[in-house]
Amino acid sequence: MLTKEQSIAEFDFQRQIVIPDRLVRRTHGHYLAVVEDLLRIYQDHVGEVRKNLHDRVRRRLQDVLDCPTRRIAAFCKLLDDSSEFENTQSADAARLRKRVFSQAAKSHPLVQTSDQLFDRDEAKIKAEIAHDLGMTWTMIEASLFADVIEFHRLRQAPQDLDATKLLARYNVAQTQAALYPALSMTVWASDDFKIVLRYAKLARLMHSISRNGEEYVFQFNGPASVLRQTRRYGVSFAKFLPGLLSARHWRMHATVLGPAKRRFALRLTSRDGLQSEIHSQDFDSSLEEAFFKDWQQLQTNNESNGWNIAREGTVLFRHQTVFMPDFLLSHPQHGEVLLEIVGFWTPEYLREKANRLRQFRDSARIVLAISETANQELHELDFLKVTFKTHLRAKQILALLRSEL
Amino acid sequence: MIESCVPRLCFEQGTLTLCGVEKRLVDRLWHQSPWVFDSRVGCWRTDAMHYQAVAAVLHQRLASDWIDAVADWKPIVFPRQNLHSLRTDQSEALSAWLRTRRGVVVMPTGTGKTEVALHAIQQVSTSVLVVSPVRDLMYQWHDRILSATGVDAGIIGDGVYRVSPVSVTTYDSASIHMPRLGNQFEFLIFDECHHLPGQMRRDAARMSAAPFRLGLTATPERRDGEHQVLDEIIGPRLYTQGIKSARGKTLADYDVIRISVHLTPEERTRYEALGKTVREFIAKQREDTPNYDWQALCSDSGHNPSARAAMIAFHSKRSIEDRAGEKLRIIEDLFRLHTGEPVIIFCGSNAMARDISLRFLIPCLLSHCRKRERQDILAGLQEGRYPALVANRVLDEGIDLPEVNVAIVVGGGSGTRQALQRLGRVLRKNRYGRACFYEIVTANTRDELRSRARRRDEAFQKIKHEEC
Repeated sequence: MLTKEQSIAEFDFQRQIVIPDRLVRRTHGHYLAVVEDLLRIYQDHVGEVRKNLHDRVRRRLQDVLDCPTRRIAAFCKLLDDSSEFENTQSADAARLRKRVFSQAAKSHPLVQTSDQLFDRDEAKIKAEIAHDLGMTWTMIEASLFADVIEFHRLRQAPQDLDATKLLARYNVAQTQAALYPALSMTVWASDDFKIVLRYAKLARLMHSISRNGEEYVFQFNGPASVLRQTRRYGVSFAKFLPGLLSARHWRMHATVLGPAKRRFALRLTSRDGLQSEIHSQDFDSSLEEAFFKDWQQLQTNNESNGWNIAREGTVLFRHQTVFMPDFLLSHPQHGEVLLEIVGFWTPEYLREKANRLRQFRDSARIVLAISETANQELHELDFLKVTFKTHLRAKQILALLRSEL
Repeated sequence: MIESCVPRLCFEQGTLTLCGVEKRLVDRLWHQSPWVFDSRVGCWRTDAMHYQAVAAVLHQRLASDWIDAVADWKPIVFPRQNLHSLRTDQSEALSAWLRTRRGVVVMPTGTGKTEVALHAIQQVSTSVLVVSPVRDLMYQWHDRILSATGVDAGIIGDGVYRVSPVSVTTYDSASIHMPRLGNQFEFLIFDECHHLPGQMRRDAARMSAAPFRLGLTATPERRDGEHQVLDEIIGPRLYTQGIKSARGKTLADYDVIRISVHLTPEERTRYEALGKTVREFIAKQREDTPNYDWQALCSDSGHNPSARAAMIAFHSKRSIEDRAGEKLRIIEDLFRLHTGEPVIIFCGSNAMARDISLRFLIPCLLSHCRKRERQDILAGLQEGRYPALVANRVLDEGIDLPEVNVAIVVGGGSGTRQALQRLGRVLRKNRYGRACFYEIVTANTRDELRSRARRRDEAFQKIKHEEC
C-alpha cells in the first residue's frame, strides 16, 4: 500500500466527491510506454542502490507533462514493493562503522588544513584506515551506510509484471490510499456475499446488514465509529478493497474526511474496471461444486420438481455473527429452504458449526446434508437432514423435500 | 437469556461494552451518560478510558450485581528496588500525582522526570505501559526500568511485539495496538505527553482502560491549542516546575554563540541561479494571476513541468543551505577549539548528518541504528571512546545524552519547541563547567531567517540578556 505522501486524489467541492488518481488508456495511453521504461530501468540496473534507481525513475518521468511528484513517488514505491533488495545485515554495516570510527577517534579531529597543533590530515588517516582494513576508501564509503534503506541494492527486478499490470496496481493502490481518511463504507451487493463479508472480517471491520429485495446492504466501520467520527479504520477499508474487487455485482460508497474536515463521497462499482489480484475460489470444496453441478443437471432436465438452486444466496445474521448456508433452494409454492453441507472437518470446526446452526435454527428453514463421520460427532443436532458417505446426490435432497414439505 | 440478567462490562477493541442493561437503567445510573447504544452488537458502548468512572458508578449503585470482565492486569512484585532518592521538587511532583494517580507533571528536560516516574511505578506496583515519542527513548526507558526494578520490560514497537506486564512502546505503536492492549495495563505513563493530542495518537489514551495515568512533559503547550485534551485523556496538570526556576540549579550555565557561514562562490552561484528559476517562474505566473503563491505552485507542479522545475529548484536551494560545505570547515574549527571535550552535533537532515560523519569519521545516530549500536555510540561518547557524535532529529527529545558541554546545531528549520528541547538536553550541569551552544547558519539565506525566529523565543531572550 502507498503512504499518504504518495497518494493523489481530487476533492471536488462542488459535487462533494473524491476521485482517486487513475491512469486509463483513454486519457493516459502514453503511460504504457513510460511504465515499460520504468520496468526496464529496474531490470537493467540490478545491483544499483535504491536511491539511484529512484533518481533514474524521476528523470524518466520529469518531462512527462502530467506527472506530479507524488505519482513519481508512488511508482517508485510500487516498483520497490515488487522487487527484492539486498538487505545488508545492519550488523555488518554497524560493525564496519564501529571499526572505522573507533580507529579514527584516536586521530580526532581529522583536519583538511593541518598546522603544528593538528596534523591529522583527513585524506591520510582515511588511507591508513583503508589500508588496515584491506579495502579501498571508496569501498568503505560505499558500504559504511549500506543498511540505510536508500542505499539497499536491488537484487531482483520485478518478476511477472508488465506495464498493464503495474498500471492496474497503481490504480488500485491510489484508490486504497484515498480510503485512509474514510469514516465508513457501504456496499450494496447482489452476489458473492460470502466474499464481501469474509474480506471485511479479515480487515477487522464491523458490519450492519440489511436486505433490500435480492440485494444486501452491508455497512462497514469499526467499534469506535459509534462514538465519534474516526479515521482509525481507514487502513482497514483500504485492506478490504482488493477483496471487494474480487467479488461480482456490487456498488460501494465510502464517506471520506477531506480538506477542511468536510465529508466527501468515494463511489465505486464492480463495473468500474479496477482489477484485483485476488482470485476468490468459487467453491469451498469440490464436494459442493459436484453437488451444484448435479443439481443444475436435474434442473435443466426438468427433474428438480420445480426447485431452483442458488449459491450462498442468503445471509442470516444476528449482530456480528453471520451464517451463509451453502445453497438457497427456492420453489414457487414451497418458498425458500436453505441447505448447508457439512463435510469432513476437524472436531473444533464442527463444534463451531453446530453452535452457529443452533443460533440460527429459528431464523429460516434449514436443511442439513451431513457426512456420516460428522454426523457421529454432531448427532444431537436437531435439523432435517440427510447423511452421505463421500458424495452428496441432488436426488437425496429432493427426496427429503418431497417427504417433509 | 442469561446474558440479559446480569449487567456485564467488557473490553472490546479499545472500547467498553455494557450488555444486559436497558435504557431505563442507563438513564437512571448516569446523569450524563458516556454510553451510546450500538445496534451492531445490541449493547452499550463507550471509550475504554472511562473505565474507572463507569466501574465506580456500577459498583456504587449495583454493588456486586454486575460482572466486570474488563481488567486483565495484575499487581506486580518487582525483583529489586534500586532508585535514587528524590530531590524536594521531584518528591513534590510525585506526591502531587499519588493523590489522584491521574494527571500531568510538568518539569523541564534534564530535571529528572524519569526518576519521578520510576518511583511512581514502584509505588503503584501494577502492570504498566510506558509510551514515548521515539524508539530511542523507548529503549532508554527499557534500560532505566531494568536497572531500577530488575524487570526486563516487554517491547512493543521498532518491529518487535513482545508484550509483558511491564512494557515500553512508542506513541505510534501504542495508538495502533491499543485496541488489543487496552485492558492489560492498569497504569499508563506518557513521556513527553505533548505528543499525545494528535488525532490518531490520542487513541493511545482513549482506547486504554487504565485507571492510573501519568503524563510527563517539559512543554505542555501546543501551537494548535490541543493541549487541553490532556486534561481529559490523562488528567489535570498536577505539578509545574518552570524552566526559570530549574536553570542554574540543575542545569548548567551556558553561552549561545551564533556563527554565520557563507556559501562558496560556486554554491552561491548555484543558489542564486536556483532562486532565479523560482522567482522568474512565480513572476511569470503573477502576470496572469496576481496572487499566485506557493500552494498554487504545488498544485501546478502536477501538470506543469516548469512549475515542477521551480519546485525542484526550491528544494535544491534548501539542500544547498543545509549542506553548505563551509559548515564543515566551521565544525573543523570548533573541534580544534574544543579538543578533549565531548561534542554533540545536531543536524537538520540525514544527508548532512552523514556528510559530517563521513568527513570527520565520527559516529552518527540516525534512525537506521539498531539498539546495540545506539548504546555503543552513547556509551562511547561518555567513556571518551568517541570524541563526538552527530545526530539528526532522532535525538530531538528527551534522550539521555552523555554529559557534554559543547553542542552544535547545524542549520535545519525547526520550531520553538524543538530548539527548547535541544537546549534542555545539551545544557545539563556537567563537570566541564560553563557550556557552549553553537548555532551554524548560512548567511543571507532562509536558514538565517529561521534562526532569528527561533531566537525571539523567551528562553533565548533570557540568554541574550545575561550575555549583555
